[in-house]
Amino acid sequence: MTAAANSGAKMTATPITRVLGVSALAATALMAVLGLVVSPPDVIQGEAVRMLYIHVPSIWIAYGGFALTSISSILFLRRSRRRPDQGRHYDRLAGSAAEVGVVFTAITLITGMLWGKVTWGTYWQWDARLTTTVLLFVTYLGYLALRRLPAEPTVRSRRAAVMALISFINVPIVHYSVDWWRTLHQKASLSVGRRPEITGEMYWTLLYSMLAVTILATWLIIHRYRVIRLEELRDEEGLEALIASRLNKAVGSH
Amino acid sequence: MDLTPLHEVEAPNEMRRRVHRRRRWSVLVIAAVLIFAMAFITAQGLRNATLFFRNVDEAVEQRSELGERRFRIQGRVIPSSVKSESGLTTFEIVHNCVVASVLHSSDPPELFSSPWIPVVLEGHWVDGEVETVAGIDTHYFSSDRMLVKHTNEYASANEKRITDEPPEGFLDQCSFEVPAAAS
Repeated sequence: MTAAANSGAKMTATPITRVLGVSALAATALMAVLGLVVSPPDVIQGEAVRMLYIHVPSIWIAYGGFALTSISSILFLRRSRRRPDQGRHYDRLAGSAAEVGVVFTAITLITGMLWGKVTWGTYWQWDARLTTTVLLFVTYLGYLALRRLPAEPTVRSRRAAVMALISFINVPIVHYSVDWWRTLHQKASLSVGRRPEITGEMYWTLLYSMLAVTILATWLIIHRYRVIRLEELRDEEGLEALIASRLNKAVGSH
Repeated sequence: MDLTPLHEVEAPNEMRRRVHRRRRWSVLVIAAVLIFAMAFITAQGLRNATLFFRNVDEAVEQRSELGERRFRIQGRVIPSSVKSESGLTTFEIVHNCVVASVLHSSDPPELFSSPWIPVVLEGHWVDGEVETVAGIDTHYFSSDRMLVKHTNEYASANEKRITDEPPEGFLDQCSFEVPAAAS
């Protein structure tokens, strides 16, 4: 028996998430092989094009994470009063998806800067795409900060849900900024209803990378959800233990 | 049953006020940092993002109102026009069949060497007669900062070779001929 099991520690892993975790690891390893070895260099950008396979999937996961945060927040606001647990699971899902979204937005910004230095000749420019993306990052950092502020849990969750909905307004602005304004950033690499401008192996590697990163993000969201639940349990158990000890002392004094 | 606090709190109202004050300050500091960050980003965005660059044809049309003001210009580099000498690079850029001559004074990014690559240059118009592929011009663009603006087109280096041919249809409407680059 492990020390964790002896002490009664709760784990976030289940057989299904272990399978998902191993799948995520294998998928990411294959993505690295496809992106770094199998996929050819670009005729103009050369080896720098390999950034595409992490940069584009990262922002799509960020969009997906923030969309999930918004949907969960709407469900929390609509149903929290009617459910016995006050819709806390929607709130947990919103929080964990936002955390993963913020991490992947940071990855997008970092890989974009590195890619920009090689291709544009600069790490950063305040064009519409870059400006709105960094604004998205800061806004969701604010959302996560709001979730940590001391307040009554339901009130705090409600405030966070409202902020999540306000923050999501920026997501379509980020995506369409390259179409709405003149930017240094190129147009979207993949768009619904538009023929992709990427040839065979590069196109399939990009699609596969999106699948691999999606599996990884799903695994992360599930674990973060469970960690948030364990944190709540820890707080609840701690509070109950405190009340019990106070009651015992009060009874003992009589 | 006695449920009064186990430890006597001296001046509980003062204690409560102190805790609330500390919380309020932490909230205010976080809010101030975030508001400052957002204001800075929005200000940068409003200043730069709405009109990040002017295309060559627009910059030529607005030449008199731009004067010697600093701005960004965008166009594709004509490969046969590129010449480098003592740290200066001269070349011509074209957009919508309007050509501008450029005198550039810093090291160009690596991708500048790709034929017909779109570039964004930071600088200003300077009075001075120059000859371009489209004829004589009264001004040239003096730039000290170059950004390469690559497109969302990706092609395998194993299947496609770089040529000096302009992108399909790019010069179809133009009244001038572009000479081939010296090999």
